[in-house]
Amino acid sequence: MPTTREPALRTTGLRKVFGDHVAVDDVDLTVPAGSFYGLVGPNGSGKTTTLAMSVGLLRPDAGSAEIFGVDVWRDTVRAKELIGVLPDGNAMPERLTGREVLTYLGLLRGMEPAVVAERADELLRVLELDSAERTLVIEYSTGMRKKIGLAIALLHAPRLLVLDEPFEAVDPVSAATIRTILRRFAGNGGSVIISSHVMALVEQLCDHVGVISDGRVVAAGPLADVRGGGSLDDAFVDLVGARTGGAEGLAWLTS
Amino acid sequence: MAHLLTPAPVAAQHMVRMRLAIMRNSLRGDDASNLTAGVSLGVLLAIGTIAVAVLWPAYLPLTLAGWLSGWIFGPLLFGGGSEALRPEYFSMLPATPRQVAVALLAGAFAGPAPAVNLLALMSLPVYGWRFGPVGVLVGLVAAVSTLIIMVMISRVFVALIGLFVRSRLTATTVGVLIGTAIALCSNGWALAAALGGTDTAAWFETVFRVLPSGWGVAAVEASWPLALAILVAGAGVIGLLLAVWARLLSRRVVSAVRGGVPSRRGTPRPLPATTSGARITAAKELRAWWRDLVRIQLLATAFSYAIVTPLLLLAIDAWIMVPFTGLIAIVMAASSSANLYGADGTALWLTLMTPGAERSDVRGRQLAWLLAVGPPAVLLSLAGTLVSGESWAWPWVLGLLPALLGGGAGLIVLLGVTSLVPGTDPHKRGGNPLSTGADESAETGIAWLVLIAVPTTALPAAGAILYHPLAGIAAGLLTGALSMWGFGRIAYRRLESRGIELLNLMKHGPAPTPDKPTTADLPVQHRIGVMICHLIAWLPLFPQGVAPLFMKIFGVEGPSWFLALHLPSMWQWPTIIAMIATGLLMYGYAFLIPMRLSSSSTAPTS
Repeated sequence: MPTTREPALRTTGLRKVFGDHVAVDDVDLTVPAGSFYGLVGPNGSGKTTTLAMSVGLLRPDAGSAEIFGVDVWRDTVRAKELIGVLPDGNAMPERLTGREVLTYLGLLRGMEPAVVAERADELLRVLELDSAERTLVIEYSTGMRKKIGLAIALLHAPRLLVLDEPFEAVDPVSAATIRTILRRFAGNGGSVIISSHVMALVEQLCDHVGVISDGRVVAAGPLADVRGGGSLDDAFVDLVGARTGGAEGLAWLTS
Repeated sequence: MAHLLTPAPVAAQHMVRMRLAIMRNSLRGDDASNLTAGVSLGVLLAIGTIAVAVLWPAYLPLTLAGWLSGWIFGPLLFGGGSEALRPEYFSMLPATPRQVAVALLAGAFAGPAPAVNLLALMSLPVYGWRFGPVGVLVGLVAAVSTLIIMVMISRVFVALIGLFVRSRLTATTVGVLIGTAIALCSNGWALAAALGGTDTAAWFETVFRVLPSGWGVAAVEASWPLALAILVAGAGVIGLLLAVWARLLSRRVVSAVRGGVPSRRGTPRPLPATTSGARITAAKELRAWWRDLVRIQLLATAFSYAIVTPLLLLAIDAWIMVPFTGLIAIVMAASSSANLYGADGTALWLTLMTPGAERSDVRGRQLAWLLAVGPPAVLLSLAGTLVSGESWAWPWVLGLLPALLGGGAGLIVLLGVTSLVPGTDPHKRGGNPLSTGADESAETGIAWLVLIAVPTTALPAAGAILYHPLAGIAAGLLTGALSMWGFGRIAYRRLESRGIELLNLMKHGPAPTPDKPTTADLPVQHRIGVMICHLIAWLPLFPQGVAPLFMKIFGVEGPSWFLALHLPSMWQWPTIIAMIATGLLMYGYAFLIPMRLSSSSTAPTS
């Protein structure tokens, strides 16, 4: 049985190569149970690939991932009972309404019909999707798709939430709602991993961060340790060795 | 103003360059080789068309009508037509819709298909040679104008579908049109035979000259004032089509395309409160069958083909096919349902992330397919057999019906997970609401495979029927149930073990494996051979082989177009066997050659 002393997620030597491109190179991450973990990195640094391999949606070339001590690739079914996932940009059962998607997935997980109905109702109301009762998911806006994705991840009350870019394209009011939900989830002992490249958001929400650049972990640990004395933004630019452009050229635009 | 509008010819030039650049960049590996094979096949057909103009000029209008139907139905059958240059890209250019349309039209010609078609249309000046130098000149002008008209008709047709297929009714209409067209192509001869005996009858000549594809022939044959009038009329039609297209384009750019979603009234019926995973997936799938215009169109195509084919044969008073209407519908519906996993796209991740859901998913899809296809197919079978009065057909219908239904339900999920063709995720599609964005030639290959494989699952039942009618019905029920259960079991086992690879195939396309040879590495002559076999192998196998086989077994009179039945009786059986063997050999070649190539390599995937 998984215990709370086991980390929520531990990856060891995760590696993935696409063609000649090494997307994820020997990634070791430890997400302590009960922590709110932010995975940050520039675009294309390997965040999404790492998360997909950690939850069992992409087979790693090497390495392993454990969720509360359960090996994702050896004991897949048990690992999947423990996590709720919001991947970036995947399709859904597009010809169902939001309520139908939740009902369908809840029943498919073997939950009691009454429980599914009650939770779906509550999730739709809290995430303000209940007004779109007749709208099929394919007609949802990008923000609504994020919200129904989050509802799907929460439905079975998982112990670990893995959310890839949960705030992208979400309006400020909905973002505040989602932040509150996630804080409550973490406050009650749940563990959360989010990926993002919005540093302010990560600073505001997370107590632990991991910085990935070019498929490698360049820093990881409690937020205060990673950012040192300055802001996470400064620490990030230092860590990934980025050079901010935009100051040169374009003379015709300003003349 | 700082920037003057680009003059039309320059804009057209840019459009052509852009189209060629896109084509160049997207031609990698398999695509490039497919293109070579496609173009080679097209050139062969074009040379064939010219040969028709020289050797059998009476059939030239008919042949050109074939090219026209390719332009109309090609984009329908094979996705959304060429959308390399989407009008949306240019919606913010300071230009009128007409200017954009003209430039896009120029871009539409920068591709292999119009070039091949132009070669085929060179049959017009060749035919004109018979009428002297003026004939050649008229033929040349007509070739160019006919090409433009054909391409424009294709574009207008695609634009109309993109704009107006928004409801179940329009999707069904398109499906019925396609189904009828396929039925006419394969069995239209019956109608022609009934209407006027020979193919050179007056009505026949007129019909194919009135079609836009036949105007060139008409112009070449006419006196020069009339020829001039026809050519001018052709130019007028081009202007008209361009105006229509420009309007359609401008409407498309400002209207929200939502991937083919029919309008809804009222709150949807709640999903059944069940804890059976297969039943809940079936409920989801049934909603998809009812709400997805692509699926509605596919079913309409299957059923209209199944209904129109026997009706055409009624024209020559042949009732033999009527009892089998429902069976044809089952096989056709199975062939268009074989890529449902591909059409749903990355939604598979939810099945994979739900513990143990793979089995429910496969079983639910099978159940939903049976519920969507079964009842109308059973109804058609019973009604068809009753109405036709062909009482000998009862054991065949009752025995083959469960065998084919079970075979179809088993094979669609098996092929769905073993031969998945990735498409575009539903929420990312645009333009044509009836296109899934999947590779059309691969999808067609799967469809053909199903057309062969599903009837094969009914062979034991057919054998048992010959032995005893009741044994046949029992065998049909048994093999049907076995196929559905067994193939479904293989399918969900496969989904459990390789589901992640399927998901990533749909997300990122095929994994680049440089060491592994693909079908693209087949020598071009083999690729053309495989294509031709896919296209025509059904001819010797079914209509010329299996059909006369059954007619002989049951002593049905009337040779109609079955070659074997026209021959002296001692040659009939050998001919039938030779035809079936030819068909099987062609299919064997078409499937085994590419397979042998891919299995001879060592798969480096871990």
